[in-house]
Amino acid sequence: MKKGHIYTLLFMVALTGVLVFALAFAYEGLKPGIAGHARLRERRAVLDSLGLAQGLSDGEVDEAFERLVKPGELNGHEVYVYEEGGQTLGYAVPITGPGLWGSISGYLGVKGDLSGLLGLVFTSQNETPGLGGRIEEPQYKEQFRGVPVSAGSPLSYGDHGDYRVDAVTGATQTSKAVLSMVNRALDAVIFDKEAN
Amino acid sequence: MADKAGKIINRQLFTENQVLRQVLGICSSLAVTNTMSNSLVMGLGLSFVTALSSMTLSAMRSIIPHRVRMLAQTLVIAVYVILVDLFLKAFLPEISKTLGPYVGLIITNCIIMGRAEAYAQKNPPLPALIDGFFSGLGYTGVLLMVALIREVLGFGTVFGMNVNFAGFETWTIMLMPPAAFFIIGSFIWLLGARAAKKAAKTAK
Repeated sequence: MKKGHIYTLLFMVALTGVLVFALAFAYEGLKPGIAGHARLRERRAVLDSLGLAQGLSDGEVDEAFERLVKPGELNGHEVYVYEEGGQTLGYAVPITGPGLWGSISGYLGVKGDLSGLLGLVFTSQNETPGLGGRIEEPQYKEQFRGVPVSAGSPLSYGDHGDYRVDAVTGATQTSKAVLSMVNRALDAVIFDKEAN
Repeated sequence: MADKAGKIINRQLFTENQVLRQVLGICSSLAVTNTMSNSLVMGLGLSFVTALSSMTLSAMRSIIPHRVRMLAQTLVIAVYVILVDLFLKAFLPEISKTLGPYVGLIITNCIIMGRAEAYAQKNPPLPALIDGFFSGLGYTGVLLMVALIREVLGFGTVFGMNVNFAGFETWTIMLMPPAAFFIIGSFIWLLGARAAKKAAKTAK
């Protein structure tokens, strides 16, 4: 068969059409599963930043999330509010900022009276595995639980009363980036500097 | 003329290994070999894509106009890569998260296009499928060997299980891409030296 220009053009159009259709079909079929995993990861992160995710199985995350956490506002910013028995016990504030290689995002949990942190969780980061990537390890992120914060005094590495926060050895830039993300959230959302 | 399956397998796993003998697919070999589980999933993903895209392209080889064959190859490969990505996201979310952008980058892996150009467009679908699959397994094998060295020395673990012994200090360099560069370089050097010795022997 002679393959002229028209044939070539029709061939590419037909091939593209068939493949796009096949992909769309596969995507529709898998979409619920993908969205479910993404939502679960997000909800677990929110609960974890409030110190509530300990030992929860995947099935329990949805139940705990719906019972304890509601979308709400803190100084006009969208946050998740942790309420139990009519009392506001904490806020999960979404944070994001530049890391060493790419942007880092996560949630910062603060106590309801804004006197201290409940936890810090990362949902996405592209730091060097084994160095900056270690910010996702419990040894690093668990240090933030309970650390006292107050307006006008940015968080730093070192001793804070009974608490101590250390940077990751060999990952100075990443550690600084995390700290500045946290401080930006403290300034802008939690203590709302611009409003005062 | 179709090749015997055994011959194809031996060629793709050993004598013409895509990474060590053809020096293709190096970019991802440097990037994902810091842990064994990443390497395994990446390797299996690549084997799947290479096998199925080679088979599909081989089945269509008589109707693909020669002038646009590369466009057709890229399209077919892209579709299979997106399928792998969707599949991982839906069923293995943890691995999908750690592999992140690398899955999408399977598409740029020179091995797939290389097999489509060098083999699938001249051979029937079944040999093309075997050729593609085993070229992927050959790649997987090399990735796992590199990852074994890097994971044990860098994290002190194998497939995430602790094999660290007291007093062993992990090597940070092993976690960074340059480590794979040295390791793969040494592999290629060893194999090359052996091949050169063999060649000298037959020449005599």
